Amino acid sequence: MLESIFILPLFTGLLALFLPVRLGRVVLVAVALLHLQLTVLSWLHTPAPHLPGYFGNGPAGFLVLLVTSFIFVCIAPYSVFYMREQEMQSEPIFLGCMLLFLGTMSMAALADHPIVLWIAIEATTLVSAPLIFINRSKKALEATWKYVLICSVGIALALLGFFFITLSQGQDGGEAKLTFTALNAAARQLDPLWLRTGFIFVLIGFGTKMGLAPMHTWLPDAHSEAPSPASALLSGALLNCAFLGIYKVHTLMVLAGLGDFSGSLLIGFGLLSILVAGIFILNQPDYKRMLAYSSIENMGVIAFGIGVGGLGLYGAMLHLIHHSLLKSSLFLSAGNLVLGFGSKLVAQCGGMVRLLPRTFCSFFGGFVGISGLPPFGVFVSELLILTGAFQTGHPVAAGLFIASLVLVVAGFARIVTAMSFGPSREELLVREETMRILPPWTLLLTSVLLCVWMPEPLYRTIVDTIALIGGTIHG
Amino acid sequence: MITGIDVILVAILLSVLLSLASSRMMALVKIMALQGAMVSIAPLLLDPQSRLGNEGILYFQLMLLIKAAIIPGLLYLAVTRVAIKREVEPIVGYHASLAVGLGLILLSATITRRLGIALSGDSSLLLITAITTLGGGLFLMMSRTKAITQVIGYLMLENGIYLVGTALTKHAHNLYLVEFGVLLDLLVGVMIMGIILHNINRAFDDVDTAYLGQLKD
Repeated sequence: MLESIFILPLFTGLLALFLPVRLGRVVLVAVALLHLQLTVLSWLHTPAPHLPGYFGNGPAGFLVLLVTSFIFVCIAPYSVFYMREQEMQSEPIFLGCMLLFLGTMSMAALADHPIVLWIAIEATTLVSAPLIFINRSKKALEATWKYVLICSVGIALALLGFFFITLSQGQDGGEAKLTFTALNAAARQLDPLWLRTGFIFVLIGFGTKMGLAPMHTWLPDAHSEAPSPASALLSGALLNCAFLGIYKVHTLMVLAGLGDFSGSLLIGFGLLSILVAGIFILNQPDYKRMLAYSSIENMGVIAFGIGVGGLGLYGAMLHLIHHSLLKSSLFLSAGNLVLGFGSKLVAQCGGMVRLLPRTFCSFFGGFVGISGLPPFGVFVSELLILTGAFQTGHPVAAGLFIASLVLVVAGFARIVTAMSFGPSREELLVREETMRILPPWTLLLTSVLLCVWMPEPLYRTIVDTIALIGGTIHG
Repeated sequence: MITGIDVILVAILLSVLLSLASSRMMALVKIMALQGAMVSIAPLLLDPQSRLGNEGILYFQLMLLIKAAIIPGLLYLAVTRVAIKREVEPIVGYHASLAVGLGLILLSATITRRLGIALSGDSSLLLITAITTLGGGLFLMMSRTKAITQVIGYLMLENGIYLVGTALTKHAHNLYLVEFGVLLDLLVGVMIMGIILHNINRAFDDVDTAYLGQLKD
């Protein structure tokens, strides 16, 4: 039951590579719906895994899995209608890789064994590379090459980190079970030297994949060159999976009494990411790259929130959910813009408000949300993270955090204003269509809804996730 | 006393230095084949007793096949078929690279001495070799312009990680941990296939990552 969550998309993904395009599209949407049902069912009933040494049903994994699955349900129908407007020779590869991508990400979310987690994250690189390269242009090739090479180095370093963590069980610790659950249970007996070394390598390794500065260099290229549905998935789901890897090791560090060490590293990388993103967003000529830098910024915010601990932990988990919803919505809106204007340059897309009024609504709504303004959830989560930072005694870091966020909002606002109200073009290449408007709107509305009404099980899952490392909602 | 493992390890160290100093693509590929063979033999000599299980022997053969035959074979194909110019085209000169390599050996010796308390005595040379190989690979990736040299650098980095794993976890063989490093070879394979299969060669006149420099801020 639990394993079927990732076996289903992996199997159908392989199948979809060979199916005719029309059938493949149906399979994509059907599997997306089925995957969400399976996820929700196992989330509510938490069945025991068949392979308990390798997979687990921990709350952190389910949180990431739920977000991934929900976003995928919105992206799948969108990509069907997006693909209809594009001339693409290799659409079966696109459909198959989307499903395989979903499968590997679900596997990463459910993994309890460090090596299974590592394998799943490596597999996400392999199956998402064709998605980035799908347009076969010179720039797409460059983006894919950077993506594969940089992430491979990251993955290799993460493996080294896991070697060190295994070693912390002692030189003759061959009998001990190697799962996150077992490691957490025996955290106090682990060798701190190897744990520290291991955390640094895992942070740098998975941080590359998560897009933390200064290892983020692949991210803007990959996100801007991939077709928009794939960018939405990369940004809204993949980054979370890499974050989950870091989070699990951070949990282990906190339980072993080394939380200060790992926390300050996370704060450092988080602040650096926000700052770098702010600087690069300011004069960004390409709106998809702007969204990609915004993802780097938000990953920085999450790392920062986890690092400060306390109330910041709850804020960070909330931020993870809302960032995924808003950012994938923004990327889907950006897909409509790419189709409509035929360009990713801000200078080429004036007058969105007149030409694409409904896309304007979702794009502008997404901008308001991601900038941390109410009524969207990012407002709440960033406020909680800030409160947490002050409560746990990080006033300087909190000041830097606010300053960097202002930088990001300023850059973002300039671009969005120019695109929305700037001098408009004469005509559109592709008109907007209801089926390509509904998914981004659904994602936005979900963010608003979750802000005013949080379902009890979801609240419990978040609280369970952070309770392990001492985070509470009451600070 | 000089044992078999010492000879192998010194040979691996020399192969790292040689690869940093070599100016010909074909020579680099041959060095990598040799290094792959020695890296996959090393664990066998290190711990002759514990490796004699059926799975161990199978795995050892698989490693040798991949590291010493398949990957270098693919690299050879890439160099001959994709009409890569035969020179390595470094950013950092050969002599400077060699000096960096020697510096890396010193650095690894220092790191090993720091970590030495936690290690059993006989694996210190192994750890020095492993860290040098790892660092040498990273350096090669950064200091050469061609896409294929970056892949070779990555291969060396991966060899280093395999050695670190062997050095550190040799007492916990029942965990099957180091063995998963073989999946990194999959990534290497994919990268080389990317170079061979039309794409990079068709999109660029040369497999030179200096051409891969259009996307930036």
